[in-house]
Amino acid sequence: MVSCQTTISEAINQALHVEMAADDKVICIGEDIAGGAGVDGSEGIGGVFGVTMGLAQKFGRARVIDTPISETSFVGMAIGASMTGLKPVVEIMFCDFIGVCFDQILNQAAKVRFLSNGRINMPLVIRTTMGAGDGSGAMHSASLHGLLASVPGLTVACPSNAADAAGLLRAGLRSPDPMILLEHKGLYGKSSDAVDEWPVAVIGEGRFVSRGDDITIVAVGAMVRVAEAAAKKLALEGINVEIIDPRTINPLDLKIIISSVEKTGRLIVVDEGPNYIGFADGVISAVTQSCFDVLNAAPRSICPLSTPVPYAAMAEAAWLPSLDQIIEAANTMMSENYGK
Amino acid sequence: MFGKACFIRAFEGALARAYDAGEVPGLVHLCTGAEVAEVALADALDPAVDQVTGSHRSHGLVLAMGADPLAVAKEILGRIGGLSDGLAGTQHLIAPENGFLTSNGIVGAQVPLAAGAALTAKVKGAGGVGVAVFGDGAANQGAVLESMNLAVALELPVLFVMENNGFGQSTASTYASGSTSFTQRAASFGLVAMQADGFNHIESQQVFAQAVKKARKNTPVFVEISVPRLDGHYYGDDISYMPEAHMKDTYDDPLHVMRQFLEESGTSASVLESIMLKQQARAVQVVAEASSAIKTGPLEIKAWHQSLEAVRG
Ligand SMILES: Cc1ncc(C[n+]2csc(CCOP(=O)(O)OP(=O)(O)O)c2C)c(N)n1
Ligand SMILES: [Mg+2]
Repeated sequence: MVSCQTTISEAINQALHVEMAADDKVICIGEDIAGGAGVDGSEGIGGVFGVTMGLAQKFGRARVIDTPISETSFVGMAIGASMTGLKPVVEIMFCDFIGVCFDQILNQAAKVRFLSNGRINMPLVIRTTMGAGDGSGAMHSASLHGLLASVPGLTVACPSNAADAAGLLRAGLRSPDPMILLEHKGLYGKSSDAVDEWPVAVIGEGRFVSRGDDITIVAVGAMVRVAEAAAKKLALEGINVEIIDPRTINPLDLKIIISSVEKTGRLIVVDEGPNYIGFADGVISAVTQSCFDVLNAAPRSICPLSTPVPYAAMAEAAWLPSLDQIIEAANTMMSENYGK
Repeated sequence: MFGKACFIRAFEGALARAYDAGEVPGLVHLCTGAEVAEVALADALDPAVDQVTGSHRSHGLVLAMGADPLAVAKEILGRIGGLSDGLAGTQHLIAPENGFLTSNGIVGAQVPLAAGAALTAKVKGAGGVGVAVFGDGAANQGAVLESMNLAVALELPVLFVMENNGFGQSTASTYASGSTSFTQRAASFGLVAMQADGFNHIESQQVFAQAVKKARKNTPVFVEISVPRLDGHYYGDDISYMPEAHMKDTYDDPLHVMRQFLEESGTSASVLESIMLKQQARAVQVVAEASSAIKTGPLEIKAWHQSLEAVRG
């Protein structure tokens, strides 16, 4: 075990190196993932966020394939390749672009295993970025994990740290179901503990980020950090927060969430997806149906305003869930005592 | 035309300075190198009846169509008083009152929208055309290829303009598009397919005038125009992936070529110089004014949100 820090972007890069070295069937597909295609002697760019850096040099452009800007066909190609024995990792630069190739994901990737009655497996990871906060505007900033998680047949993962990102990617390549790995743009540069060899994660297993008896906060991706900051402040007021990061939102580790809510009686879901029929609504609905009787306060969702992501920096910041909103909600909920 | 192109060049330069000064919320894709081509296109159109849709790289187009430069600058800087009050931004410029329907953050998505504008024009019978401007990278999107076929099948008054700058982000178009020529490809859809040299303003003007004339008569047309991409994919892009021949200092610049041409055909150098300086001063002034405008903030997005809630009841 090495006790050093690695960024999410480096961790995913290392996991890709490990997988490609171990298995010839693992290939990478996407726009500019090698970069400089068609330019003699170009070193490339290794992806617009540098996540696939060095792969083309190491494994060659036959396995690290730059594509035309044709999401429908190259995502479909990855799905077809997975159906026929390869293990593709395909990148959609920003999750907003999933709109372009949604049929391939919604009707093809998600349904093949079911329609073949389990005869065709789909080891496939669709890597894409999510999240607002960098002034990219309404078509490069969405958080579509809730939408994707509502499609039966897709595994949807939203890692918040380096080990989970690498481990989930590796798990996706071993799973019979296609995985969509949503990498938060704002987290790429953030460091967390590095782990030797990046162990394969268990799909559908959440983790405790912090332990506490008063309020349960569920969050994924970048919102885990916002929840942690809020928990620190709340601790100063004597409110102890238990933060759960489910890591995958489909399948969702309801057990860990319910075990926590049974203890705290209070649930907040902080999420960057839409407020209405999104991930937060899904968690709150599941908890309410499973353990209504333990709730001491009405569960709260803290989500962005239900508009597309605004461009101007201060408007975007106001749009995102904030620390203050969490603290306010927590304080209100502590004064509610339905169950007692 | 020279003055307009100079203004756009200077506008992009001033934006680059604003970006350096931290005044721009995100990344900007500058249109430098395509100004002459875009002004030539706009000059062939009538903003009263025509509608243009563009890509992520549309600052020049929206200005060429005659949108208020101050409102454009404010939008790109995320300020109140921008085309969409700073909520939409550089990739989503919308000025239909000037014949610029929308630009787009999704590569290729603007193209079907132009077919829609063409359909409206056809149904209304006002003689307008829909114009889709997109890149060589976008040319490989399904939405673009489908639209080309649709336009021919439905006899839409639409003009497809493909700016070929040789690259989609870091990928060369020779790689992404195999060896087939874009005009041949368009012709095989049944489009009238033409080529223009974006370094030659007279040829560009002639080709666009001819193309628009045909499109107005419900004959869909495709024009491929070659332009350089002088400032990389986005401003600040590390363009070491590009070959020498495509680097800014080795590449011909259509604006310089035009200036030289005008000088050789009798306009005095000092007149040209003063036009350029005047436009530069104007652009710098516009971007400076936009920079000092009030930043779009919580109130604007909350107001928009509330208006939605009100509609939903
Ligand atoms: C559907 C979609 N895929 C990918 C991107 C990312 N992207 C933005 S611009 C661009 C290159 C576009 O190239 P081209 O069409 O030639 O236009 P240019 O930038 O050269 O003007 C890419 C890949 C996007 N915005 N939308
Ligand atoms: Mg291009």
